[in-house]
Amino acid sequence: MRRSTILHSFYSAFRPLSTRTLPANCLRKSFSPITQSLRAPNAAPFSSSSRLLARKGKGGGQKKDNRITQIRYHLTHQKTPRPLRFSRLRALRHWTIHRAWQLFRAKQRTAEQLELERQYNSMREACEALRLMDERGMSGQEGGREVGRLYRIAMEKKGIWDNVPIEYARIQMDYPSREGWNHEWTR
Amino acid sequence: MAACKRAVPPLHTCLRCIRQNVNGNASTIGAPSRLFSSSTPSSEQTQFEQNPKFPELDPSLVSNRRDERRLIRTTGVLPIGSRRRRAALQTSSRIPFEQLPYQCFQEARKILQADREEKIKQIEVMRSRIANVEAQDVAVSGGEKAKEARLRSMRNHVEELKILADINDPMVKKRHEDGEGDMNKPIYRYLADKQWRQYRRLVSMQRITQMNVMPDVLPKIDPVAEVTLAFGRRNVQPGDFVDSRVSEVIPRLKVQVFDKGERLVTVVVVDADVPVLDKDSFTYRCHFIASNIPISPTSTSIPLNQLDRPVKGSQEETPKHIALPWLPPYAHKGSPYHRLAVLLLQQGEGKTIDTAKVAQETKRDGFIMRSFVDKHQLKPVGVTMFRTQWDEGTAGVMTRLGLEDEAKIEFKRKRVEPLPYKKKDPKRYR
Repeated sequence: MRRSTILHSFYSAFRPLSTRTLPANCLRKSFSPITQSLRAPNAAPFSSSSRLLARKGKGGGQKKDNRITQIRYHLTHQKTPRPLRFSRLRALRHWTIHRAWQLFRAKQRTAEQLELERQYNSMREACEALRLMDERGMSGQEGGREVGRLYRIAMEKKGIWDNVPIEYARIQMDYPSREGWNHEWTR
Repeated sequence: MAACKRAVPPLHTCLRCIRQNVNGNASTIGAPSRLFSSSTPSSEQTQFEQNPKFPELDPSLVSNRRDERRLIRTTGVLPIGSRRRRAALQTSSRIPFEQLPYQCFQEARKILQADREEKIKQIEVMRSRIANVEAQDVAVSGGEKAKEARLRSMRNHVEELKILADINDPMVKKRHEDGEGDMNKPIYRYLADKQWRQYRRLVSMQRITQMNVMPDVLPKIDPVAEVTLAFGRRNVQPGDFVDSRVSEVIPRLKVQVFDKGERLVTVVVVDADVPVLDKDSFTYRCHFIASNIPISPTSTSIPLNQLDRPVKGSQEETPKHIALPWLPPYAHKGSPYHRLAVLLLQQGEGKTIDTAKVAQETKRDGFIMRSFVDKHQLKPVGVTMFRTQWDEGTAGVMTRLGLEDEAKIEFKRKRVEPLPYKKKDPKRYR
């Protein structure tokens, strides 16, 4: 009885506490005398099922898929935690807490968003003020001689990649290659 | 009880005596000292407690088989919940749900309540703004149309806020789930509407479209009201086959609208599959028309058989509601099933329909729904359907309608004459 890797993952999920590896014949508890006697094929001393139901094929009936057996074994194991079920009022309390949490998160998000918006707006206003500022710090005519010098300096994009290789401005990848086209190729 | 008693054997005896004090069985509360005495009660005690031998029982607390029986026998009230639950309730301190002492739950409730206060404040602000806009001069607010649009959007926003204020309340959710929601309040209407649209509306729309009621009877229906059909006590799922004997009596409609206010509706039942022998095709037949039926979110039932019941003393000659009385649906033997569409049509604001005139003008056979709707300016708001076919009772139904001749007719498929077949020369296939 070989178990696949998927079933191994099942096993670890359902029985996290046990570190013991499962014996190959996990379904048969070797300490029970009854199952001991059942282990031999077709050696059941007594069957209550009707004649039609007791199939006589190879191995005493249709063989179940090993995966099904494994899943069933782990799902019905005592150490598998039982599914989480709430009573009505407990579920309602859970719902209340969940809604409050969602509301709290939503309010946090909107607050963050508003803060960002406020910061952006104030930066934009500062730039606008710089753009219209002349040499003496007064708001002058647009397009004047010395108007907006500080703005132009602030907007310069020089040296922003100073200590970083310029290649990092674009995500580096293998394709398309640098020499993507073989121009020399002839038939 | 036996099971729970077994579950708590040491507590069992204890429970007995606690129960005397805790639960409502105890008009014995007044006389705890008298539990074990066998002497006759004194006169003032008899005044205080009416019947000490049979104390009053609380239907939510009785957990004893004998007490239950006595409760049902004396008051006619059935005990509430399971016996196990009732037994558990006897010893629990019965704190209301909102006050349950769970820290996280209480903190969550605080947040939700704060949010609700905020929403209510927003509603008040919005209302005062609406009042301002209403008082504003038309020229200032940019024309009549712009003002109307602005007011409409503001009112919609207020409605939205009303729902948002209550939607996080666990008690509202609980009451809605228990079906105890007050349909006069927008939140319960909203929740009911959502629930309807999630499943029941989808089912009914599927039946309507699959059986082509939608393009056949009316070109387009967008239901906003839930219509449930029942013949007597039998509920009919949309599109179900109904036995002709069952549908002989006039049905009962349950209509749930999800927007506030009262309105008048017209109910029309149309058969869309009446065979026409001459033309070898099908036509419509009107089975029922009733108009001017008032409907609101809280008054949901339309008992069609109760309409126009003759009231003692009233001298109305013309029926107020029913234009065409119920004609039991029937299908001829051998003909395909008939689809019967039940349509709920909303009348215009404050408009009533003259039923006598309608009764005079409408013919049952060849009734065209589209022209009826156009003529009376009706708006389809709800729809359901059922089907009928030939069964054992149909002949009787038709006889009672006075259609004995038609009951004997059996429709048969036309035999298609096979084309003359000439055996071909087998040599050709070689």
